[in-house]
Amino acid sequence: MCAAFGAILYHIGDRLNSIHLTSIPRNVEKILSKNGFLSHYGREQIPANWGTTIPYRRFAAKGDRYFAAYVEEEFVRRSEMPKMSSGLVKKFRESVFEIFSNAVIHSQTRLGIFSCGQYFPNRNTLDFSVADLGIGIRKNVQDNLGLDLSAEDAIEWATQGTNTTKRGRIPGGLGLKLLYEFVQLNRGQLQIVSDTGYWCLGRDGAQKIPLKGSFPGTAVNIEINTSDVRSYCLKSELSETDIF
Amino acid sequence: MNESITLSVFEIVGSPLCVASDDGEKVYERIEKAMRQGRSVALSFLNVTSLTSAFLNAAIGQLYGEFSEAEIRAKLTVKDMEPDDLALLRRVVETAKAYFQDPSRFAEARRAALEEDDEQ
Repeated sequence: MCAAFGAILYHIGDRLNSIHLTSIPRNVEKILSKNGFLSHYGREQIPANWGTTIPYRRFAAKGDRYFAAYVEEEFVRRSEMPKMSSGLVKKFRESVFEIFSNAVIHSQTRLGIFSCGQYFPNRNTLDFSVADLGIGIRKNVQDNLGLDLSAEDAIEWATQGTNTTKRGRIPGGLGLKLLYEFVQLNRGQLQIVSDTGYWCLGRDGAQKIPLKGSFPGTAVNIEINTSDVRSYCLKSELSETDIF
Repeated sequence: MNESITLSVFEIVGSPLCVASDDGEKVYERIEKAMRQGRSVALSFLNVTSLTSAFLNAAIGQLYGEFSEAEIRAKLTVKDMEPDDLALLRRVVETAKAYFQDPSRFAEARRAALEEDDEQ
């Protein structure tokens, strides 16, 4: 949850508040130092001996290239990361790129995009989070389509069918659906918080709840089952001449 | 001029990671220019390792706001794609066709394109 927490602290700092983190439980402090989070707040970064963390980073809103390089360096090429089938690695990598692209395209953030991840070897799960400080899904739906939905209904709306808030020359409306399908196949989990809405897709289906407080943007967490041996390389019958 | 041309996505983007909408836009500009000249385009994905819908929407999806399905089918082909990337592209194409079936979106896209032409 460092990405979401870091986004909140950055939001607070942008309002010219000073941030001092105190009374952090020792085990939490250790993790937050290892993944580089606390080095943003005056602490030294300690070496990640176990190598199961994907470091906390902040990217500029147009930082797709840097984000892609970060995913390659910190996940794909690191020997400490789980051994997964090549198809699963590809799907995971594309999924986090889809999440980042969604933030770039839809959030209108001027304060950047935050991310981090953690591999849990004992549970065979890998979590990766991306948060932005943009306008949020509810306001995006309202501004572009005039639909007055609750925050949690707006998230659900964005995950369904061909729904999109995109206008103009470049079509959209596929990124979240691809994530939805991948998480279902992998039996992983997808969590989205935006404004006062929480939506989660897990093994038992999707659920949504309203939150008491508001998150100042959108945070997406994907959790994948790294022991999944399903082949994600489709044996498609599509031919290259049958696309358009 | 109606000779065909092969465009390398890897060369245009300069990376095997074709994930950003802005990079897709660069590919779109090349395809659009060639098709405007009446040329047939073979788009090669050789050495591309990652694709997103955002990239493909910008590179190929937006062609459906500028050209008819028949024109695209007659002038554009793709090659050197993995089967799962081909499946993703097919979905992007289907989504783009549905997107531009909404007349207001089509008109908006045309207006945006004309405004850009005026600015150049």
